[in-house]
Amino acid sequence: MNQPTGHRSSTGIGALGKIVRFAVFPVAACCVLLFSACGPSELPAYDRDGRKLVHVWVHSGQAAERETLETQVATFNAAQDEIRVLKTIVPEGDYNARVQAAALSGDLPDLLEFDGPFLYNYVWQGQLRPLDDLLPQAIRDDLLPSIIEQGLYDGALYSVGVFDSGLGLYADRSRLEEIDVRIPEGVADAWTADEFDAILEALSDKADGRAVLDLKVNYTGEWYAYAFSPILQSAGADLIDRQSYGSADGVLNGPEAVAAMTRVQEWFARGHVHPNIDDAAFVDRVAALSWSGHWDYGRYAEALGDDLVLLPPPDFGRGSRTGQGSWNWGITRRAHHPDAAMRFLTHLLEPDEILRMTEANGAVPARRAAIERSERFAEDGPLRLFVDQLEASAVPRPRTPGYPVITSVFESGFQDIRDGADVRRVLDRMVRIIDQDIEDNQGYPRG
Amino acid sequence: MKTGTASSRLALVASYAILLVCAALFFLPVAFMIVASFKPDDLVLGEAGTWRALVPTDASLSNYADVFERVNFARYFMNSVVITGAIVTAGLLVNSMVAYAFARMRWRGRKLLFGFVLALLILPFEAIAVPLFYQMIEFGWRNSYQVQIVPFIANAFSIYLFYSFFLQIPREMEEAAAIDGAGSWRTFFTLIVPLAKPAFATVAILSFLMHWGNYLWPLMVVDYETYRPLPVGLAEFQTLPPIQWGDIMAFGVMMVLPVLVVFLVFQKGFVRGVAASGMKH
Amino acid sequence: MGNRSRQSGGFLTGRTAEALCLAGPALLGLLLFVAAPFAIALILSLTNFRMGTPLETQFVGLEQYRRILGDEAFRRALLNNAVFALVVVPVQTGLALGLALLLNRQLRGRVLFRTLFFMPVVFPMALVAVVWQVLLAPGPDGLINSLMGILTFGAWTPRDFLRDPQFALPAIMLMSIWQGVGFQMVIMLAGRQAVPEHLYEAASVEGAGAWRQFLHVTLPGMKNTIFFVVVVTTILAFRLFDQVDILTQGGPRHATTTVMYEAVRATFAEARVARAAAMTVVFFLIVVGLALVQRRLMKEEREIT
Repeated sequence: MNQPTGHRSSTGIGALGKIVRFAVFPVAACCVLLFSACGPSELPAYDRDGRKLVHVWVHSGQAAERETLETQVATFNAAQDEIRVLKTIVPEGDYNARVQAAALSGDLPDLLEFDGPFLYNYVWQGQLRPLDDLLPQAIRDDLLPSIIEQGLYDGALYSVGVFDSGLGLYADRSRLEEIDVRIPEGVADAWTADEFDAILEALSDKADGRAVLDLKVNYTGEWYAYAFSPILQSAGADLIDRQSYGSADGVLNGPEAVAAMTRVQEWFARGHVHPNIDDAAFVDRVAALSWSGHWDYGRYAEALGDDLVLLPPPDFGRGSRTGQGSWNWGITRRAHHPDAAMRFLTHLLEPDEILRMTEANGAVPARRAAIERSERFAEDGPLRLFVDQLEASAVPRPRTPGYPVITSVFESGFQDIRDGADVRRVLDRMVRIIDQDIEDNQGYPRG
Repeated sequence: MKTGTASSRLALVASYAILLVCAALFFLPVAFMIVASFKPDDLVLGEAGTWRALVPTDASLSNYADVFERVNFARYFMNSVVITGAIVTAGLLVNSMVAYAFARMRWRGRKLLFGFVLALLILPFEAIAVPLFYQMIEFGWRNSYQVQIVPFIANAFSIYLFYSFFLQIPREMEEAAAIDGAGSWRTFFTLIVPLAKPAFATVAILSFLMHWGNYLWPLMVVDYETYRPLPVGLAEFQTLPPIQWGDIMAFGVMMVLPVLVVFLVFQKGFVRGVAASGMKH
Repeated sequence: MGNRSRQSGGFLTGRTAEALCLAGPALLGLLLFVAAPFAIALILSLTNFRMGTPLETQFVGLEQYRRILGDEAFRRALLNNAVFALVVVPVQTGLALGLALLLNRQLRGRVLFRTLFFMPVVFPMALVAVVWQVLLAPGPDGLINSLMGILTFGAWTPRDFLRDPQFALPAIMLMSIWQGVGFQMVIMLAGRQAVPEHLYEAASVEGAGAWRQFLHVTLPGMKNTIFFVVVVTTILAFRLFDQVDILTQGGPRHATTTVMYEAVRATFAEARVARAAAMTVVFFLIVVGLALVQRRLMKEEREIT
């Protein structure tokens, strides 16, 4: 076949040839249209009926959480006809990456949800506006101190949350009873790390050597710094020096940090940690312990019933420590109607709405008025531990614009440790990257 | 080929055996995906380690219904069709035009510009993704169709394929057209394009394959599902709790089945097109 | 693909304006969306430019290059790309050639076979990754683990392939080959069919067996096709990203990280755009180097034959 087969036409090519011929015109027309429509992709400020549009980004979250917000948006939109809230779901795994990309091109929504510690970076970049003049004082006074603390940067309040988080160790009571181990009552008598190691061994023996601990290693993103930096703090180490926020050296790679992370590595090396790729290790009752947050409470309670117990994370030497801070809301500087965004936020902060959300996701209500009315968080409620932890053992994540780098480095470092790399070397490398980032940003100067 | 001897019969049996084994291995993941798309979610992983992995236990269409309920599948699909369709059709036009100018016309700067195209041939898209992303911000093109279409229309590889093909078209035909007084444009559209159908088919299919699966780029430039194509839709669906593997597989089947059908129709044309392009000796 | 038949000073001279009209749209596109971004990358790589920072951008010379070349993750990424290419290019090309030659015989059901091998080609990589993630599921419940168990009569210890430093990259290679080989096969098939049948008849008359026919007729006849397939596969091998992003995020212990993965991560997770730009430039230099080497090999080949 040396001649081009131009005049012979098989079914496929003949049809295609026709398409090609008839495509020339429409394509030329399309190009013209495209180029004429290429103004900046600004989000519209009003809808066709003249209502103010509030564009909102939310994290994907668990199904129940998503549905609750869906309802809240719908009720808010139905209750008045000046404002319409439009929400976009963004996957959690690369949430910050999405925000960064959108921020650059001015595509951020009016109201932005984000995971706690990213706030400082967004403020530093000038993406968010202060809420001090917008948030009603009565609500502000009723918010948990941890929520206010999380939203403050340089003396101004930039974010509020509807809930704070709870991180703990969910356990399968029947499995613990099989190995006859003491069940801690609260933060003060948490298992020690040695006890915890022995429990893992015993549980594993009972389960023919199968993995018994679920650390949610199926997650990506913020989970690692949130869930496992409390291990460092419990051992007397930390992600960064909190006095100066100038270096992680000696803090993240000191002997305490090395010892604690080596212990974690052992859990993996001994095969105790379940890969959990379908996120069902605990509800299928394969894993007996699940290191997880408030968001799993509903699912777990349903699957385990009375067998579900909630325990504080183990004590690595300086007392049990846990995470705090959660998804919270900020209003962007490019928002067309900050007041409208705040009205929606105020709606979410009604005690009824807070409870509706925390019933769905198990989180700690952000307002005292809501906590008082919640059975789960009452004195002997099943999730009381989360409230106690916020008062006694919760550590906020570092409040620095360098946090995105810290968490990214910690996530990949944790994976390396999980996969058996030399702990000391991994931690040293993490310190190098964090310190270099701080240096590159001239120490993240304020104001 | 000699026939009837024992050794050639043995070779035939061996060929079949190898092909059958390979075909089975190649089809296994496809079969698994299709079967899993009909199963209850917990059985997808639950039965994956047994022969029942390939048996549609408790088959139903509920996974398919779930996909439509949980995400805007139709929108993603339409976006992918619009984006890929526009890249392919516009690409066929502009790339064949420039290739014709390079292959058949003599003009000042031809050598230099052709060298420029050849140099870009080896520059993979990924190498420029990040700066292009910044450029698109400058253009104000993020969150649109054009950001996913326009940068990919001109393609050095397509130009090169057209160029090789056009070189083989006998010159006499053009000379005849020139004597009739036809200009380059008319010669190109009325004479060359019909002659080059196999090249157009090949480039169309190659460029479709190259762009239908685009993942990295839309991930960077699209925030809203209005413009989100299938691959990104799938990746997001996969991480949207609760993780339901049956639903994910149903998404996959719906994503790939229409394309598969189109390809079965075009397959013959594709093989012939490749054979007729410049890739042969 | 030389064009020896063209006489110089043909009849189509003096049409520069017309030619530029024809060539314009595509050349403008290439200039704007390929050449210009690359020039931007070159410039950015010499600065400390970061995404979204309120600080001023400064020129830092070759600092970014010094840093990435000293970074073990980046060096590992380069190595992984090289290993991936060194394994996948020959295996995939060989397999595609083998299948194409088998399918070139007058076998019953060859259309069916061809369809089966070609099927994965229409799977977007994002989908391939998702399906294989389930197939590679850890523990005895995973399909591949259990298949290995059957094939080894139970001697196989189930693994978490994608978390195993030894198996993660091979697993990604396997799924990439599965996805890509059908495409190369079709090209090979076309190339094989373009080899004139009379050459085989002549060889057969001279008493050449199947192996010698393969060596002396098929291979030389398909030289350009094979070269084309090798070039395309090599470039694709260096672009490895989607599978890694979806399946392993570069882990375990950087065993599957790639240059593109590191660059994208530096940009979007850490906002270090200048660093990513430097990676991009290094990446480009490598691809250019490979292309030059391949071209030279090709030239030598031509001179010999």
